[in-house]
Amino acid sequence: MVHLPFSKNKRYLTGIDWIVHAFDHMTKRATGAGNMSQIVLELDGAAPEDELQQCLTRFINKYPVVNGQPARDYNLAPYWKIPPQGQRPPLSFSISRLSDGAGGAEVFARLAQAVNAPFKSRREHLGFHLLYAGKRSFVAMTFDHRLFDARGAEAFLGLFQEEFEGKGECSAEISLTEPAHLCRWREKFKAGQHVNRAFLRLGEKAPPRVLPIPSAPNRQRIKFKIIPFDEQQTAAIVDTAYNEAGYLLLMPYVLAVAVKVLHGIFAARDIRAGDYVISVSIDTRPPEKVGQEIFFNHLSFFLFLIQGHEAGRFPALLASIKRQMYDQVKSGLPSDIEEASTLMRIVPLPILSHLMRLHLKGQIASFCFSYVGETAYTYFRFMRNKVCNIFHMPRVPVPPGLGIFFHQSHGKLNGVLSYAEGMLSDDEVNTMVHRMESLLGV
Amino acid sequence: MTVKRVEETLIREVAAILSVDPSTIAPDVPLHELGVDSLSFVELLVVIEKTFDLNLMESGLTKEDFQSIRSLASCISRMG
Repeated sequence: MVHLPFSKNKRYLTGIDWIVHAFDHMTKRATGAGNMSQIVLELDGAAPEDELQQCLTRFINKYPVVNGQPARDYNLAPYWKIPPQGQRPPLSFSISRLSDGAGGAEVFARLAQAVNAPFKSRREHLGFHLLYAGKRSFVAMTFDHRLFDARGAEAFLGLFQEEFEGKGECSAEISLTEPAHLCRWREKFKAGQHVNRAFLRLGEKAPPRVLPIPSAPNRQRIKFKIIPFDEQQTAAIVDTAYNEAGYLLLMPYVLAVAVKVLHGIFAARDIRAGDYVISVSIDTRPPEKVGQEIFFNHLSFFLFLIQGHEAGRFPALLASIKRQMYDQVKSGLPSDIEEASTLMRIVPLPILSHLMRLHLKGQIASFCFSYVGETAYTYFRFMRNKVCNIFHMPRVPVPPGLGIFFHQSHGKLNGVLSYAEGMLSDDEVNTMVHRMESLLGV
Repeated sequence: MTVKRVEETLIREVAAILSVDPSTIAPDVPLHELGVDSLSFVELLVVIEKTFDLNLMESGLTKEDFQSIRSLASCISRMG
């Protein structure tokens, strides 16, 4: 085992972190901006702009990790280089105002502009936007997925609120250390063998069924369609999911709905070659650890293969997803992906981005999916305003340029369709939303 | 195996999946209130298969059977 000295200015990247870096590299090449996401808090009043900016600046200044950048150590393990305290670029903070009558479409179009804007420098990974729309306001935190996963970003905002409410500083509990993982090689190669076999099975009929990514001469934007559900609708959806899929099996149920809805779009375009391959990111943190493992990525993946003829028949589709999920948990695929990916850290990102597409003949998946579960932002207020809803706007990696994501906040389920501009027409998006609502029974 | 023994085993396994102390797990509290979600629930089903040789994913058990560790232990004991 190689023992390395701990440095507070260095956090080794895990294999999963490095895969997320590869997604960032690919997405930057395809769209000009990286693998970023945005959390939006909808508030019932006007957040005070000066106070918000000051509090955020003071809060962020305590975490130099947010201005780090990737580097390679002498042992070739990649790490996140954390700048010394004090060497900080100013916090990116913008304010915009919409008219009183601005609707949801206008609000989210403005917020989409914010998340599609690339960061200004290699050391900027976080930005805030305050949007006023009549009596409501929206606080959006745009973040680099190399710094946070979705749940970590929610927990980071929760930490801000905790500090604002004067409940003391919890930063000492946050873990910023990670070993270099330069040991247990035999286990890593064995995990690699398992993962490789799983990919070979996925690639038997490659390439998978995909929607073509439109060519964009300059910079391609990601578009979003938010699909919100209120508490009553959510309760009905959960009830239906528990009856149809089984107790607590909401994730496979909403995934089956997403596949069926997208299958309708593929069928309407007469795209029938190949099977669907879906990459599903899952949070690997136990709920108790969310407050400590805030930074970087604590996730892994399920990989689902859905044959074309299964995708149109909901009971068969749901049964297939449940069976595959069970088999993958039983065989330990998600943990093997975590373990095996550490071997990939030696590979430079341009080559890794290419290698990740080899098994599926140039593709990553038909689409990306995740169900984050109940929000890690547990507060009902942000500063002094009531939080009406929480939305996620993740820029889906390109390829595949298409993703459906779900999360719950305070009993409300929210979906978001994220897609490369031009990949879906407005009519197709509206059709998808109607079909999704209808399949979910609302 | 007695219901009590099954219950103790389930408490230990749920605590391991959620990374919490087994003493914090109440057997009559609904699993979702303990923080069990889709993924951790499937992990629990896999543990049940490995420990009790029962595949519950396709067993047709009702929501009530899965509601709490106590009800689940009672079903496993009955089936096993």
